[in-house]
Amino acid sequence: MANTTTKLHVIFGDGTLGVATDDVHYLFSYEKGGLESIVSHGKEWLYRPIRPIFWRATTDNDRGNHFSEESAMWLGADCFTRCQNIDVQVDGKDLGLPIAPQNNQYSNDETADQVDIMFDFQTATTPATKVTMHYQIVANGMVTLTSHLQGNEALPELPAFGVQLIMPTVATGFEYDGLSGETYPDRMAGGSRGQYYVAGLPVTPYLVPQEMGMHMQTRWLTVTRQRTLNNADVDAQPFSFSVEMADQPFAFSCLPYTAMELEAATHVEELPLARRTVLSIYGAVRGVGGIDSWGADVQPPYRLFADVDRTFTVQIHPGNHVSD
Amino acid sequence: MQADIKWLDDPQVFRVGQLPAHSDHYWYRDADEARSKSSSFAQSLDGQWQFKFADRPQHRPVGFYEPNYDTSDFGTIHVPGHIELSNYAQIQYINTLYPWEGKIYRRPAYTMGPDQTGEGMFSEAPDNSVGAYIRHFHLAPGLTNQRVIVQFDGVEEAMYVWLNGHFLGYAEDSFSRSEFDLTDALVDGDNVLAVEVFKRSTASFLEDQDMFRFSGIFRSVRLVGLPTVHIADMHIRPVVNENLDSGELNVTLKLTGDVESKARVHLTVFDKADKLIVDEKRSVAKQISFGHLPFENVMLWTHHNPDLYHLTVTITDEDSNPIEVVPYDIGFRRLELRNQVIYLNGKRLIINGVNRHEWDATTGRTVSMADMKADLQTFAENHINAVRTCHYPDQIPWYYMCDQAGVYMMAENNLETHGTWQKMGAVEPSDNVPGSLPQWREAVLDRARSNYETFKNHPAILFWSLGNESYAGDDIEAMNTYYKTMDSSRLTHYEGVVRNRKYETSISDVESRMYASPAEIRTYLSNQPMKPFLDCEYMHDMGNSLGGLGEYMALLDDFPSYQGGFIWDFIDQALWVTDEVTGRQVLRYGGDFDDRHTDGEFSGDGLMFANRQAKPAMQEVRYYYGQYDN
Repeated sequence: MANTTTKLHVIFGDGTLGVATDDVHYLFSYEKGGLESIVSHGKEWLYRPIRPIFWRATTDNDRGNHFSEESAMWLGADCFTRCQNIDVQVDGKDLGLPIAPQNNQYSNDETADQVDIMFDFQTATTPATKVTMHYQIVANGMVTLTSHLQGNEALPELPAFGVQLIMPTVATGFEYDGLSGETYPDRMAGGSRGQYYVAGLPVTPYLVPQEMGMHMQTRWLTVTRQRTLNNADVDAQPFSFSVEMADQPFAFSCLPYTAMELEAATHVEELPLARRTVLSIYGAVRGVGGIDSWGADVQPPYRLFADVDRTFTVQIHPGNHVSD
Repeated sequence: MQADIKWLDDPQVFRVGQLPAHSDHYWYRDADEARSKSSSFAQSLDGQWQFKFADRPQHRPVGFYEPNYDTSDFGTIHVPGHIELSNYAQIQYINTLYPWEGKIYRRPAYTMGPDQTGEGMFSEAPDNSVGAYIRHFHLAPGLTNQRVIVQFDGVEEAMYVWLNGHFLGYAEDSFSRSEFDLTDALVDGDNVLAVEVFKRSTASFLEDQDMFRFSGIFRSVRLVGLPTVHIADMHIRPVVNENLDSGELNVTLKLTGDVESKARVHLTVFDKADKLIVDEKRSVAKQISFGHLPFENVMLWTHHNPDLYHLTVTITDEDSNPIEVVPYDIGFRRLELRNQVIYLNGKRLIINGVNRHEWDATTGRTVSMADMKADLQTFAENHINAVRTCHYPDQIPWYYMCDQAGVYMMAENNLETHGTWQKMGAVEPSDNVPGSLPQWREAVLDRARSNYETFKNHPAILFWSLGNESYAGDDIEAMNTYYKTMDSSRLTHYEGVVRNRKYETSISDVESRMYASPAEIRTYLSNQPMKPFLDCEYMHDMGNSLGGLGEYMALLDDFPSYQGGFIWDFIDQALWVTDEVTGRQVLRYGGDFDDRHTDGEFSGDGLMFANRQAKPAMQEVRYYYGQYDN
């Protein structure tokens, strides 16, 4: 990690906000509406900007109880949600969106102890609701990401609520502190707490690809990669990225596919060649159910009703996990 | 006697020339053979058979069973195996609707009126493919100069059998062993066994299980020789007294052959420490009973301590040379139903069960010993203590293995008529069979009889299950009566009576449901239940499922009459296929063979993937079943 006695370097760009320590450089895109780049020791961690997610691939039970039909607008939201507003705060001072000519006042030597940047999204649902992703970066380079969903009782139940990081290449594996195996809110009693290493990005071979690979009750997670897409990068040393819990444990899946890719396949062999790492971090996840596969819903405690506000917070940073 | 293809259409003809069902014991020439479990009385006919496929009865090679028939255009097929998996016929998966849905209109004979006989419904049907099988054999030395029986362990769904051109008989019931006496038709040297297998018959209405629909000789075939004096049937009834400490053994033997001779019968029972408990000798007779043989400090058979006693019956000639040795491992356990609670050996019975179809992703329902061993290992690792043989009798060795492993069994008949009473989810039994139709009664009773007679000596079996999802009527009631008459040491089970509660008091000792929610079960158990409650199917583990198991397990704490259940189900039914695009081996399901109508991936409900890799949900089963592992 960065030397905690130094300050953050802030670069007030014309289309992005750069925030850097000696070791890591973040780029927040005003046009793309999110954190688009995390470069640590020369290694890029993001292939596409971090975005809010609302969908998880339909399970056989979801199909049977028509959940996906009832909640289909969250699939649209998952694909097409729009960033509507961005707000930047530096050391507590609200700068709005500091683009030209406002940023003409700055130099290349701007520093800060803390940078906050908020992205407001309007969901592609009817009615629309709002999601805010709030990044807070402190001088040691640690990012605290808080994601907030504004509840609306007119909206259908959610499959999931989270954020997604798509990494440029396939991970060699990941390690986490949480529950063994694949767990869901209504199927985690059998998960043993511990620290687990998973090699590669295994795909659970359900006959029809569907939601898979969830890990509930996670305290920290470290993803390790060995390759980048940077043509000038000849280094083959493994490098890592971590997510830590803030106030509450989180859920995640780390797969080579997005929910949309899983949703589209009718067989495992139809899934595309694994090229990326899709790290989905969830504050809330719908259970899988099991009473039957032709109508019985997931039991109420494990369903995500849309009428309540939902917030979750995680800390993200390049490198191995630091808290324990 | 002449074979008649019209038998395919008549529900009142389901076995012709077959030997009666009997206990599943093995017999050996002497003690050494018995120890090595290698009988010189048995000759396997598994392997390559000559084979000719016809897409319909009209195209079949009529008369192919004659020894001089020109078989030069026959191909080959491996026995045991499914005709479809040898690519002679299309693979199809379908759940409740009949496999001819939307292709051929059928109503079961006599359901629309007493004059509606169904003649021609199968014998002239364009969807009734036919496999003509031929196997040449020379009798092995151990089988010469004695009676010789051919045993078919499983043939789907109807077959006619000839030896050397002589018609021997006809059999339905795909999942029960069929036997025919070859003796009078045998010749020295080359013998020609011919089997004509039809994919459909009236049995098709009775075999509407949720599974891939196959045909052919899919289990082993063998010849067995009968020694001069032979135990045709043994009925072993160990009884544990109420004190759970002492007991008695009752054994009844039925003998065939030279039962007037001076041969002797010697019955011994050793316990697991090789201590001799029973040592009884008798002269041979047609029937011999050993009654009330006392056992003290009896070792009880339970899930965790499946202690078995080693019973042996030896028949010797007047010079004391062995004629036949029959070993059978027996178990003592006491099953009771008191005040709506089932007890095993005085403890409330808790079923941590699974439904298990016989399945192998390469060979379909032709499962190997290795598959069976692997499944029992998986049971042990995950605290699974019970299995329902959904929805047909399994291969015979599985029952012995469950005895050994202490796995409680619900032994189910080969019966499901789902498509005759439930359509698109709605109960609509207007063409239900067997219902109360007299013309269908004997066929289903025969299935019950075969199941009982074959497996009656297995301690692992706690429940006789009358079948699956066939609604309820006089005929299933008659099956229940049959079991109750034959066997006081076990309980009967049938779920379908909850669809027609008129028969509630005369069918099934347990209230059995499938996929009832925990709340529904609480309602039943909170209102003076008439019977103990079992989930014959629960936790439908299709794809990524098995959420909420804890709510079912909590019922065990709250209601003594809740006895647990059988998860649906143990293993995905899917088939290895070479991907037409990548050349990789991939698992395929219904619809992937251009099969229509189909229920697609609905057969993928296992705790195991079809390749016997555990699904992630298995750890949840291991946890909860472990919590209630008694």
